[in-house]
Amino acid sequence: MITLTHFLVVGACLFSIGLYAVMARRNAIMVLVGIELMINAAILNLVAFGRYDTEHYGGQAFALFAIVLAAASVAVALAIILNVYKHHKTINPEDINQLKD
Amino acid sequence: MTLPTPTYPLLAALATVLLPFIGFLLSAIAGRRAKSGAISITAIALSVVAAGYTFANVWGGEPIHIQWRWFTIGEQAFHVGLLLDNMAVLMLLLVSIVALPVHIYSVAYMKGDPGIHRYWTFLSLFCAAMLGLVIADNLLLMYVCWEIVGFASYLLIGFWFTKDAAVQANKRAFIINRIGDIGFLIGFAILYAGFGTLDINALFGPQGLFATAAGASTAGSTVHGGLPAGWITAAGLAFFLGAMAKSAQFPLHVWLPAAMEGPTSVSSLIHAATMVAAGVFLLARIFPVFDDTVLLVIAATGTVTALIAAYFALTQFDIKKILAFSTVSQLGFMMVGIGIGLYPIALFHLATHAFFKCLLFLCAGAVIHEMQHLNDKHRLGIDPQDIRNMGGLRRYMPVTFATMLIASLALVGFPLTSGYLSKDALLVHAFEWAALHQGAAHIIPYVLAFVSVLTSFYIFRLLAKVFFGTAATPALANGQAKLHDPSAWMVGPMLFLAACSLFPLFTLHPLNDGHVWLLQGIAVSKPWPSLPLLHIVIPVGAAFATLAVAVWVWRWYVGGKYTAKTDGPLYRLSFHQGYLDGLYDRFVVGTVLRFAGVLRWLDTYVVDGLVHGLTTLGRSLASAAGWVDQRIVDGLVRLFGKLAWGVGNVVRRTQTGRLQGYFASLFLVILVILLYHIIVQA
Repeated sequence: MITLTHFLVVGACLFSIGLYAVMARRNAIMVLVGIELMINAAILNLVAFGRYDTEHYGGQAFALFAIVLAAASVAVALAIILNVYKHHKTINPEDINQLKD
Repeated sequence: MTLPTPTYPLLAALATVLLPFIGFLLSAIAGRRAKSGAISITAIALSVVAAGYTFANVWGGEPIHIQWRWFTIGEQAFHVGLLLDNMAVLMLLLVSIVALPVHIYSVAYMKGDPGIHRYWTFLSLFCAAMLGLVIADNLLLMYVCWEIVGFASYLLIGFWFTKDAAVQANKRAFIINRIGDIGFLIGFAILYAGFGTLDINALFGPQGLFATAAGASTAGSTVHGGLPAGWITAAGLAFFLGAMAKSAQFPLHVWLPAAMEGPTSVSSLIHAATMVAAGVFLLARIFPVFDDTVLLVIAATGTVTALIAAYFALTQFDIKKILAFSTVSQLGFMMVGIGIGLYPIALFHLATHAFFKCLLFLCAGAVIHEMQHLNDKHRLGIDPQDIRNMGGLRRYMPVTFATMLIASLALVGFPLTSGYLSKDALLVHAFEWAALHQGAAHIIPYVLAFVSVLTSFYIFRLLAKVFFGTAATPALANGQAKLHDPSAWMVGPMLFLAACSLFPLFTLHPLNDGHVWLLQGIAVSKPWPSLPLLHIVIPVGAAFATLAVAVWVWRWYVGGKYTAKTDGPLYRLSFHQGYLDGLYDRFVVGTVLRFAGVLRWLDTYVVDGLVHGLTTLGRSLASAAGWVDQRIVDGLVRLFGKLAWGVGNVVRRTQTGRLQGYFASLFLVILVILLYHIIVQA
């Protein structure tokens, strides 16, 4: 029997892997992948909790919205990364510290 | 208050005083241009005319009194005014008429002096102050003039202020006169406290407070107005202290011989009518204030002064010093006149003395003047005032000799001179007074008679040494140098004063003092009967004594029959003027200096110490406050500054600009919040 706890553990694992990717990867694309993993962990949680809302299926509805938003944000982020690469000739987040000032 | 109508005599009296004062102002403004003295002489000459007019109109008539309000303190109004009675106009005339010849004499005597413009200025001020003093109608105004007289005399005595002796002398005169001034001040302060007025007429006039009070109450324990008898005595003694200093009474006489450092013409004025006369005049003016005790003190002091001064005069060699002591001695006579209650006699003697003493000084000045010329011309290096260097001058200066002889005869009271009238009157009345009082009172007239003999001795000694015998100065003796009578500017005043020293000025009865117009004008009733025998015995005796002394002196100094023993204690005591200067130096000056030293010690160690202690205290308090300010207040402020800086310095490191870093911290913060919630809510 697969219980809610199993979903949550899988979501937490996904989140943690995404978090690690965001914090540790030296490649902006991989950071972006990490972000997607974290978003998907959240979506998984939404769907898992959505089982308790059998009347409106609010969880599933929000999950769909979130997937669309994630796709849109990936598009924007990829565009930013491309521009950053044009500007700095690198996409290593370690080397980009212009946000300092 | 209505203003009284000013009348011509009043205006004339005012002019008498104001003219020399204007002369003073003009001379002072003109400064070095006023060398000729024309301003001062014109002023004093016009002053004599005005005084003569005043005298002619007031003498023998009703006194004139005028006053204006001067200033008001609280409820008390002080007045300024003139009181012209017989006594005042007599002095007014006397002062101006003696001052005039002195002024004229000064033209020649002071010629060529580099500071002569100052001389004329001071001389005018001196005369103006003295003239103001005699007609002042209240004690306050009199005191003001009294002070100016003292100050002007200070200026004149120290006229040659480059000479150290002159500076010492005028300082001495000024300080001693200050002592007297305090007496005067205390005296009229007591009177003012008791009676609330300083008006001479209201206090001492015929209807004054003193006259009515004395008549109303019994003699002895008289209570005048609001004052107990003891205070009246105190006031009298205080006034007498003032007169003692001004009129050079023992032991305050020391300034007068020292004052010889001034120009001789000034000496003559000081000794005749202006300075020293002020004291006698003051006593005569306020005479009713004196009770029997004070009168006795006055008479005794006068006697002692007359004796001691005559004694000191015996051995002096400075021609001016002899005359100075002679003045002191004669002032003693006047004081006795006051002390026996007959102030008119004292004033009469003052008047006659003014003329002959002024003349004596002018003659001495002429002699000194010539000796100075001789000294300068032949470079002798002698003291021109020392009578040992003179001798035989009679042949060179006959007019000077003749006038000086007249003045000397007047001084010793020889018949046919004015001095005979006044001095013998004084002596006779002193004997009569003694007869009334009996006992020890007899000492006074006998001492006075003895002093008369001493007077004859020292003045004849002076004449003999100066005018007779052979010249002691070689240049004079061997005929190299010729002296002569001074110019007409000097001889004229001398002749005029010589004429005034003879009897016709005062009475037409040459041998009888009963008809002197001066005494009739200001007479007071004698409280004792006349002793007719004395009026014959004393003058005759005095005349013969004078002759005998003259002969004796002649044999001594001209004939060379005797020699003085110069090493005896009496001689030395006289020669050193009783060692009074040394005594004053040791006891008065020394005490004052020691006292000053104590005060200085107090000042240095106590007062300054206190100030320094306070300073140190203030400084240490300030440095403590400074420490608190720097370390604690500022430290706190700096601490906060450093804290903010440190926090900022630490926190700024987090702003790395790296996205992942921001993300990590964001995550950490959220994690912390989460954990917090979990732990707290668990």
